Amino acid sequence: MSVLTGKELRIVGFLCNWCSYGGADTAGTARAAQPTDLRIIRVPCSGRVNPLFVLKALMHGADGVLVSGCHPRDCHYSSGNFYARRRLEMLKDFLPIVGIDPERFEYTWVSASEGQRWKEVVTSFTDRIHRLGPAPRWADIKPRYDLPFNQPEKLLEPIRPLGCGENPSLGELKQAIRDALAAKPGADGRKLEGVLGWKRGFDAVHAEPVFMQTPEDVDELVWGPFNVHNLANFLPQYKGRKIGVVVKGCDSKGLIELLAEDLIKRDDVVIFGMGCNGTVSESRIRARLPENAVIEAARGQGATLVVSASGQDFELPMKDLAQDKCRQCVKPNALVSDRFVGRPVTEPEAPADDRSGALRFLDDLTLEERMGFWKGQMERCIRCYACRSACPMCVCRDHCVSDSRDPQWLTQDDDVLQKMFFQLIHAQHLAGRCTGCGECQRACPMGIPVFALKQQFSRMIKNVFGYAAGMDPTATPPLLTYQVEEPNIKERELS
Amino acid sequence: MSSLRFATPDALLGWLKKLAAEYRVLAPRQEGPSVLFRPYAAADLDGVSDPAALLRRATASPKGAMAPHSETLVRFSATKDEQDPAKLNVGLDAPCQAEPTVLFGLRPCDARGFVVLDRPYTSGSFKDPYYAARREATIIVTQACPAAAPTCFCHWTGSHPADSEGSDLLFTAVDGGYVFEAVSDRGRALLESSGFADAGDRQAAVEEAHARAAGSLCPPSGLEDIPARVAARFTDSEFWIRHTAKCLSCGACTYLCPTCQCFTITDEGSPLEGRRLRSWDSCMSPQFTLETSGHNPRAEKFKRMRNRISHKFSYYPQSYDGAYSCVGCGRCVVSCPVSLDIRQVVADAVKGAPGVNSDAAPAPAAKPAKAKSAKKSSGKE
Amino acid sequence: MKIGVFVCHCGSNIEATVDTAAVAKMALGYPDVAFATDSMYTCSEPGQEGIVQAIREHGLDGVVVASCSPRMHEPTFRRTVERAGLNRYMFEMANIREHVSWIGKDREANTNKAAELVRLAVEKLRRDRPLHAKQFDVTKRVLVIGGGVAGIQAALDAAEGGVEVVMVERESTIGGKMAKLDKTFPTIDCSSCVLSPKMVDVAQNPNITLYAYAEVESISGFVGNFTVTIRRKATYVDWSLCTGCGSCTEKCPSRHTPDAFNEKVGETTAINIPFPQAIPKKAVINAEHCRKLKSGKCGVCAKVCPTGAIRYDMQDELVTEQVGAIIAATGYDFMDWTVLGEYGGGRLPDVVTSLQYERMMSASGPTGGHIHRPSDGREPKKVVFIQCVGSRDRSIDRPYCSGFCCMYTAKQAILTRDHIPDSQAFVFYMDIRAPGKMYDEFTRRAIEEYGVNYVRGRVSAIQPAMRPDGSMGYIVRGADTLLGQQVEVDADLVVLAVGIEGSRGAGHLAETLRISYDKYGFFMERHVKLAPVETNTAGVYLAGVCQGAKDIPASVAQGSAAAAKVLSLFSKPKLENDPQISVVDIKRCVGCGKCIRVCPYQAIKETVIRGETKAEVVETVCQGCGLCTATCPQGAIQVAHFTDNQILAEVNALCLS
Repeated sequence: MSVLTGKELRIVGFLCNWCSYGGADTAGTARAAQPTDLRIIRVPCSGRVNPLFVLKALMHGADGVLVSGCHPRDCHYSSGNFYARRRLEMLKDFLPIVGIDPERFEYTWVSASEGQRWKEVVTSFTDRIHRLGPAPRWADIKPRYDLPFNQPEKLLEPIRPLGCGENPSLGELKQAIRDALAAKPGADGRKLEGVLGWKRGFDAVHAEPVFMQTPEDVDELVWGPFNVHNLANFLPQYKGRKIGVVVKGCDSKGLIELLAEDLIKRDDVVIFGMGCNGTVSESRIRARLPENAVIEAARGQGATLVVSASGQDFELPMKDLAQDKCRQCVKPNALVSDRFVGRPVTEPEAPADDRSGALRFLDDLTLEERMGFWKGQMERCIRCYACRSACPMCVCRDHCVSDSRDPQWLTQDDDVLQKMFFQLIHAQHLAGRCTGCGECQRACPMGIPVFALKQQFSRMIKNVFGYAAGMDPTATPPLLTYQVEEPNIKERELS
Repeated sequence: MSSLRFATPDALLGWLKKLAAEYRVLAPRQEGPSVLFRPYAAADLDGVSDPAALLRRATASPKGAMAPHSETLVRFSATKDEQDPAKLNVGLDAPCQAEPTVLFGLRPCDARGFVVLDRPYTSGSFKDPYYAARREATIIVTQACPAAAPTCFCHWTGSHPADSEGSDLLFTAVDGGYVFEAVSDRGRALLESSGFADAGDRQAAVEEAHARAAGSLCPPSGLEDIPARVAARFTDSEFWIRHTAKCLSCGACTYLCPTCQCFTITDEGSPLEGRRLRSWDSCMSPQFTLETSGHNPRAEKFKRMRNRISHKFSYYPQSYDGAYSCVGCGRCVVSCPVSLDIRQVVADAVKGAPGVNSDAAPAPAAKPAKAKSAKKSSGKE
Repeated sequence: MKIGVFVCHCGSNIEATVDTAAVAKMALGYPDVAFATDSMYTCSEPGQEGIVQAIREHGLDGVVVASCSPRMHEPTFRRTVERAGLNRYMFEMANIREHVSWIGKDREANTNKAAELVRLAVEKLRRDRPLHAKQFDVTKRVLVIGGGVAGIQAALDAAEGGVEVVMVERESTIGGKMAKLDKTFPTIDCSSCVLSPKMVDVAQNPNITLYAYAEVESISGFVGNFTVTIRRKATYVDWSLCTGCGSCTEKCPSRHTPDAFNEKVGETTAINIPFPQAIPKKAVINAEHCRKLKSGKCGVCAKVCPTGAIRYDMQDELVTEQVGAIIAATGYDFMDWTVLGEYGGGRLPDVVTSLQYERMMSASGPTGGHIHRPSDGREPKKVVFIQCVGSRDRSIDRPYCSGFCCMYTAKQAILTRDHIPDSQAFVFYMDIRAPGKMYDEFTRRAIEEYGVNYVRGRVSAIQPAMRPDGSMGYIVRGADTLLGQQVEVDADLVVLAVGIEGSRGAGHLAETLRISYDKYGFFMERHVKLAPVETNTAGVYLAGVCQGAKDIPASVAQGSAAAAKVLSLFSKPKLENDPQISVVDIKRCVGCGKCIRVCPYQAIKETVIRGETKAEVVETVCQGCGLCTATCPQGAIQVAHFTDNQILAEVNALCLS
């Protein structure tokens, strides 16, 4: 590609064919002088603009990206720009968390008749990008490897008492499951094939998912701080079959979102719920034990986990061990269930500041520091994609675009930008759909805090649409719908 | 024994700094909560005060040192013919980036991982020049495990925490420093140039450390006829479905594994300038066996898991004198998001395996032929 | 793949600020480009022949033309490559005129930019695949929105051509603005004498279904198959029974209802038939003024109606019609001139609009054709006409000319002299625009034969002034720019030629039709010169002033033109779709249904293939917006020629290297 003439910056425009591309034509026909930096990519509709195109450009060297479509209500395809408005607004709100100045991206509406307006839009946006100067390049940014918010003293205080003691209702839960497995086929003529739950894992501080089919399987069921896995993740695999699942509050949100997106059928699932007192991060237990200590047993005593390791007892408070998501959990009880066993756990008020430790940390960084942070973290990604496999909302399953050549969003280069871009794809696909279970991060063998990217989208979705995923099985995720009037999205004026 | 040398922490760090001037030195580095093998320049080592920082158990195996996550097999560039621009004059360049490397601080299981990789990559009629060149250029300095983690099971695979197979040098932490033992000729040469003092009477301390580590391992498997019995499970789909129910089909186990070697080949770039990449792939990935027609012989995850376990404990041993393609490092167990324990799967597969006539089964070697693999590991093929 | 690149000079339009030869040379360095050249006028006969030759000689698989906007010549060049045996979709354009040469003068920057745009087109073309259109059935019926003269002409021509017409008119009668005119220029013939027979034809043509007092509520579908929902507003009269006898209007006691047809010059009854020649000639109750509907007390009309047609409980009704094409002929309204203080802001009784004056002169108007000024009913002797009230005035953001005011003002001045022979007429004008046949002669007649005083200049104020004889007059102050002095004219009546804008509600209708409109409410044609009747939405056409100011003959001509467009559209047994539509890769689709949720056309449905749910595109319904492609997380549904890989290739070409 020929080099840019010295004074130009790299500005990419995505223009809808019917309005804005025509508006640019009208400006040209009127010989309306404009800066020369902008390169226009013609698309049928602003609704065609996958926000990931914008991210791709911004991550790979664009200094500015402009999207322009028909005015709201005037879309050639009637509603494409309504979707674009929501998605692009969310994108703009998302950019700062990865260290991209949101001013480098803008979207606006220009009709085919508005040649003069187009000239003003181009001029003002180009001026803006020149004021900002060339965008910082990933290659030049200093990486940062540490995770300060993960330090024991930086962990957020849980907003409710967390515990790890024996749940007195476990026996009742087991009986309920045994009964359900033994029950005759229901009205739909189907018998329950099995129930997803947890059993003890390879050591005393691990549980693992189990598909219980016999009464003996049910005997192994455990309930406690090691039940970290979101079992809703498995449900789509059993689509069309009648199975049961045991859920914590957070798992039930995943289940509700799957229902909302019609990825599972309510009639196919029998839901067992109990109140959750919090789950632990295995690495936080490890960090508090001597290296190579052999864990022999673990038992909960109220808010303290007593771990016997290498012949010694270690008393570890839950507040030091709990997963970050549990620290701010306001929905510890299953939001949907056919059988709720035991007393619901008291639900705390949502804290005024409900940001995770990761978001608080990132919010305090400069844009450039954030970019360096992600560069340092993503360098150790091994592209195993455990993050997506553990995500209950990753509907693509075996057809993720990360591995595909058509479309080819990523190359196989061992390059931190490729790794990061996958995380942007994942976050973008989950925008408005992420229920906050944090499994992406828990599953990451390299301990990369990828959950923060989804949290950024979630808080913006909440701010703009007042929406939280996984609360209502009849809801439509906000980026899959629109309102003609968007009360919380202000018109982006450029001229 | 006169071949043993002793290094104080300072001497060790000084030696590494010296090596860093000549070699690419790869050693464990803490990044966030994880530990990875990363290059250390002499200046980086200035910031290290205690060698313990370089001796952490690595989250990811060091196999990338020989088989990088992604490597360029061929670069191609084309220029257009002046007379007929439709015609391309194509130039090929096969870069093989094999810098002289010292791989430091890995564990015996990791070093044995390279022995496992050597067989498919460097034996037989088709040798992989990229792997072989890196193997040739790399000196492996292994630390004997001070203690086993609960997930360690090297002894199940015919090894132990002080196994020197695959290493050029093996060192053991003792009071006040580290005792080095040369394993290969070039290890010996390197050690002789180290300037380390004679180890004196520390032999006993070394043996005690080795015994202590061996004693910290979980009980031995007690499994027999593993390859045949795992093979006999092949048609027992129900078994595999049950053991795979909780698998998420991610690739964490395979990418962390020191012996997994599946790869994919892709071309990146344009017709005028591009590169052919070989990158890690995972047999746990649903797309790994996806055929162009759309047919996928391993569409279900139980088939993929069956392949992974069978490859490690049945196919590979059948091809290579009974050696397993598993070194028992336990990374797949530690890092599995659903705590799937390969030990359990193998044990369950073997116990009560259907239709096994143990007399008819090929006799598995307890341990791979040492001489052969040692020869390969020294790269003198 | 072998690609040919043709860089157009467009005479000097591009060549003046872009080094086209250099662009062609750079293009030769791009992947797969096997041939590149610059040419003087690529769209000309020899230019196109050059493309055909090159395709044949060099065995090209695809062509990039770097020239003007694809919105201009893409179809032209698609036909060219097709003529040479290529699939017409193996073609891309780089817009280096409107987007490059015309907007900047820096030749180096322009050349570089043009080369990059060619690179984008090449990268896109490298990923293009031949596409083939599908055929689909057409509903051979046309909706005409608006029953003014343009709509009437369009409806009659279409109906004559054998097409069923559905006409929707907002008022209770068709006729539009023309029905309100007394006479028409330049012949001074009677407007209703010309129009009424056409209105009757509409009523009598069996191919035309007329919904008067109705509005378009919503439209879905696409060219060939639109579904239109029409709101029939409550008239409170059962039109199937109403004979238009007028008994109700004679007896209605609510006699102070503003007369909309007469531009509120005078009053009428709450139940009313707008004028004697109304089509349909049916009564409508004005609910705002009907005593029965307001207070429940009255009911006189119901008592006197000989057919019992009165229905006080009538509600709006929605009806649905299927059509294959739509003609918008919604005309215009006047801008709100009362915001302009210099003309009295609407507070001076004897300052009227030209259309009110038209009604005052009309024999069927409220004064029976005798001109009486509103304030005291006296016959005005001095009439001042002011042109360009809210036209050609940038200070109030009305920069455009309303087109026909010069002519009707001349007509009204002549008629004033005809009606009141001892009267004087003054015209304040900016320029006289009389370009039509016999138009300039007509204005000359006004000046030369009728002694109308034309004063070139704008009016700065109209002030009421008591005359010495005690009568009320107005002083019109303005500048005479020819004499270079201020003038004051004493007037009995002032007539304003108020600027026009798109019809009330035009913007909303444009949104319903999915066509563009400007900020004055005029609809945007597809091309200002070459497609003035078409819009950007296939199957939607424009007729009359809704597209921009024009007089009656031009409106009639455009009405006929729109009908001709519809007839030619319907002349084929089936329509062909644009094959740039979405395609599902069933291997990748997981059947999550997100595409189905967002598709604006319900063009995607669920299907089951080997027991698995997949999405399927209904090829003749999909319009190729690509919303599904941007929504599908797997990238399993791709809109042809705007695939992810194509756009990514363009992004990569710009950013990666």
